[in-house]
Amino acid sequence: MSSTVTRTRLAIVAAAAGIAILAGCSSPAPAGKASAASCEPAKGKVTLQYWNTVPGMDKVVDLWNKKNPNIQVETKNISNDQYGIIGNALKAGKAPDLAQVGYDQLPNLRTQDAFVDASGCSAATATKSKFVPWTWSQTSFGDTGVFALPQDTGPMALYVRSDIFKKYGVAIPKTWDEYAAAAKKLHKADSDLTITYFDPNNAEWFNGLLWQNNAEMYSYSDDKWHVTVESDQSKQVTEYWQKLISDKLVRTDLAHGSTQMYAAYQKNQIASYVGAAWGYSMFRDNLPRQAGKWTIVPMPTWGANGASGNWGGSTVAFMRGSKHLYESVKFNTWLNTDPEALALENELGGLYPAANAGLQLPALSKGVPYYNNEKIFDVFAASSKKVDTRFAWGPTQKTVNLALQDAMAKAAAGDGTLTDALAAAQTAALKSMKDQAIPAAAGK
Amino acid sequence: MSNQPVTSESRVSRTAVMALMSLLAIYFLLPVYFLIVAATKPQGDLASTNGLAFSHFNLFENLRVLFTRSDGIFGRWAVNTVIYAVLGAAVGTLISALCGYALAKFRFRGREFLFSVILGGVLVPTTALALPLFLLFSATGLVNTYLAVFLPSIVSPFGVYLARIFANAAVPQELIESARLDGAGEFRTFFSVAFKLMTPALVTIFLFQFVAIWNNFFLPMVMLQKESLFPITLGLYQWNGQTARAPLLQQSVITGSLVSIVPVIIVFILLQRFWRSGLAAGSLK
Amino acid sequence: MTDIATRATRVVESSVGRHRRSNGGGPRAGTVAAFLTPFFLPFVLFYLVPVGYALWQSFRVVRRTGGQYGTSYTTFGGFEQYVEVLQNSEFWASIGRIGLFGIVQVPVMLFVALIMALLLDTPLLRLKSFFRITAFMPYAVPGVIAAIMWSYLYSPQLSPVVDLLKGIGLEPDFLGPGAVLWSAANVSTWLWTGYNMLIMYSALQSIPQELYEAARIDGASNWTIAWWIKVPIIAPSIVLTTVFSIIGTLQLYAEPAVLRQISSNISSTFTPNMLAYAVASGNNYQQAAAISVIIAVITFVLSFGFMRLTSKKAGL
Repeated sequence: MSSTVTRTRLAIVAAAAGIAILAGCSSPAPAGKASAASCEPAKGKVTLQYWNTVPGMDKVVDLWNKKNPNIQVETKNISNDQYGIIGNALKAGKAPDLAQVGYDQLPNLRTQDAFVDASGCSAATATKSKFVPWTWSQTSFGDTGVFALPQDTGPMALYVRSDIFKKYGVAIPKTWDEYAAAAKKLHKADSDLTITYFDPNNAEWFNGLLWQNNAEMYSYSDDKWHVTVESDQSKQVTEYWQKLISDKLVRTDLAHGSTQMYAAYQKNQIASYVGAAWGYSMFRDNLPRQAGKWTIVPMPTWGANGASGNWGGSTVAFMRGSKHLYESVKFNTWLNTDPEALALENELGGLYPAANAGLQLPALSKGVPYYNNEKIFDVFAASSKKVDTRFAWGPTQKTVNLALQDAMAKAAAGDGTLTDALAAAQTAALKSMKDQAIPAAAGK
Repeated sequence: MSNQPVTSESRVSRTAVMALMSLLAIYFLLPVYFLIVAATKPQGDLASTNGLAFSHFNLFENLRVLFTRSDGIFGRWAVNTVIYAVLGAAVGTLISALCGYALAKFRFRGREFLFSVILGGVLVPTTALALPLFLLFSATGLVNTYLAVFLPSIVSPFGVYLARIFANAAVPQELIESARLDGAGEFRTFFSVAFKLMTPALVTIFLFQFVAIWNNFFLPMVMLQKESLFPITLGLYQWNGQTARAPLLQQSVITGSLVSIVPVIIVFILLQRFWRSGLAAGSLK
Repeated sequence: MTDIATRATRVVESSVGRHRRSNGGGPRAGTVAAFLTPFFLPFVLFYLVPVGYALWQSFRVVRRTGGQYGTSYTTFGGFEQYVEVLQNSEFWASIGRIGLFGIVQVPVMLFVALIMALLLDTPLLRLKSFFRITAFMPYAVPGVIAAIMWSYLYSPQLSPVVDLLKGIGLEPDFLGPGAVLWSAANVSTWLWTGYNMLIMYSALQSIPQELYEAARIDGASNWTIAWWIKVPIIAPSIVLTTVFSIIGTLQLYAEPAVLRQISSNISSTFTPNMLAYAVASGNNYQQAAAISVIIAVITFVLSFGFMRLTSKKAGL
């Protein structure tokens, strides 16, 4: 290769590198994050961007847009890879004004400087009394600001095919011990039937089970995070499910919400579902032929400990970079506290409101036709009151969830156990925090 | 192709060959057949009836739902796909052809180096480019526009590679020289002489690039936030991810998949002459 | 960004210009640049610059001031990200998986493609265009849609194929821990066999018939002609398809990502690209960049290595 060629190559590489460095340095450094943002109303018409994953949310927003010509809202559904999309947008400085964020991802996104503190808006702080206390505590990070408003919660319960339980003379279980015994009986009676399925790729669900057993995984004190993903409480849960998996009393080949899962229910191969409040519309919409066969009872308990779990639920977060905080607060408050909006969200998206006003909705005190006209929301309301309010999420929850899932999938395939998966998640939590330069240590 | 009579020795082989090829044909057709059957069924029959047998014929209703869902967004996606894939491939083919032709026919220092840079580009994993591109585009405000997907799509190092080979093979140097002697400029020579000779090759390059853009959903996924800018693949992928909460979307994903691949398959079959002649020239050198 | 474009154009022009002065004849440097620039401008902007940017990112690490929700920033970290990647057992597991995939799937697919191409090129076969079209058709289907289609055929709950196999006493588990890699491989094979077949077939078609005549007169069978005359002649196109298959394998993302929606046996780190994406979504763009760079280097080494090896052997 001649020296001219080498020089040309160097020139191209140098030019490329030069541009890269320029582009890299131009990313703005975040500043002044500790103080609340100012809250001035805009002059004239504004358009807000609102990203969410709720089916039918566009119709709720249409309702708002009709009533508020000067604050128009555009929605985008980000169901596929919700946090990947939000993360990328943040990285690019293109975040929307408002985005749906699960409670479990709030600390994670806050370490990425995702939110703006809306406590400068008196309208935002005034909503505190309108929400279920634990939800407010998580969105305000223990009353240190207003970073999001709670939207819905996922108090857990047990969905039961009462006809199948009746057919085989099995009582509906009240504790996890009874549940395991029932699993044995049902599978013995019909080898194609299992009491439920265990989806190893659903850490959010599994976290709900850990939450129920007071397995607190993170706490923050002395300027660092204390990671206790592995604990006696969490091990009790993993050992219980590991036994069901090893004894082949639950199947592990179904993904939550997949066509395959619904097909298995359709074929009467699964007798129950450990689910959350928002799941009621999933069964109603996907398994119309099983109307009247389902009933909803409280989640099985760990012996005398009557605690319940919470799976999912979301908040609508105030995203950094929004130029219209005042209007965002206005819309967000309406979206999550107005009875008309909440009723529509419950009907179309199956959301179980986090607002106290929402819990008084007529739709939530009536019987639901699909469930034999039973007042299923009474069960969820009772569950909601038994959720451990001290439970907290970690600052790298997304990475930890992935690690937990991968290791649980291995366990389900016979490579290791669910308890090993806890260890993997613990390691991943510490390593990911180190990568993000977040101070952390193992143990309490 | 030789048409000489088949000897008796090959009668057994002929049966074996037919059997083998028929088996392979079934393999290639099976998923598409499944898709056709599924697209004619109502949502409720998808899980509860045999996947390879027709049930209640509901195709027209499925199509109506597909094209009216969310104010007819699917039609919009189809138009966008044409913009990204057809227009993008057309522009890409033109610039590849110019570059490949120059690399083949003009002598200048650094030519081989430029060509090896392009060859290196062929090997760059395009999925790895999407994320850094996104970060760079955000700085220039290009994110969430047609250009964010269109501009990176027109670059095809492989297209240049092919164009150079085709130009070498199909355009005799003497023709260029005589055009030059007639006083034609280089661009005129290219468009009036080389372009025609290279046409089958250019169709091939176009088709390659069309497929590459049509296949690449990762780039639009990273770049686009507005649904109204999506190509079909990204739209269907997004719908598919929502089926857990909105089950009725599933039928639209299936019908949409069928609707979007049928025209492409037809065009491919119509253009297969170009595929073959272009590929032959490309692979022998 | 426009700055680099002009600089790159200048590079092209100046290299052209130097040559022009020393040699004489042919088009002017400006003309050459006018032919090259429409491609090289976007090529530099949308290929080389992002590559440079990823490279730069891969040498950065995250630091933070002001406690848990303090301000984070990046700083030069040398090879820290690379060390972490190379120490990550998940990374090596994904490389191992993709290696196994490539060693089995690529030869199987290319062998089937070659056999089909040779059969299409013999007088033994009828309905040639039908077979050619059916094999090539999957190429028109985007990977995402293909994976969705196949996921229906793999699913124990929905698949008519599984029902059929159960009918004859088999218990297939296409999504089980041992099988799922090969189920993903099958989607790739389905998508790309016809395309590779067509490349080889096109090469066969352009061989002059006279080449075979002598062999035929000597009494050579179709198979003898196929293996000893045709295959060696189309060796370059076999090399080409192999290189593209290697690149494709290393980039594998869409097919396993779709199958992951129905099988927990595909982990979030199943392929190197999936690992990179998972790491990026954990807000560790720097480490994701390091993974991408390593994948690119492996791709280069394998592709060039293979081309070298084969060109030496075949004396091309």
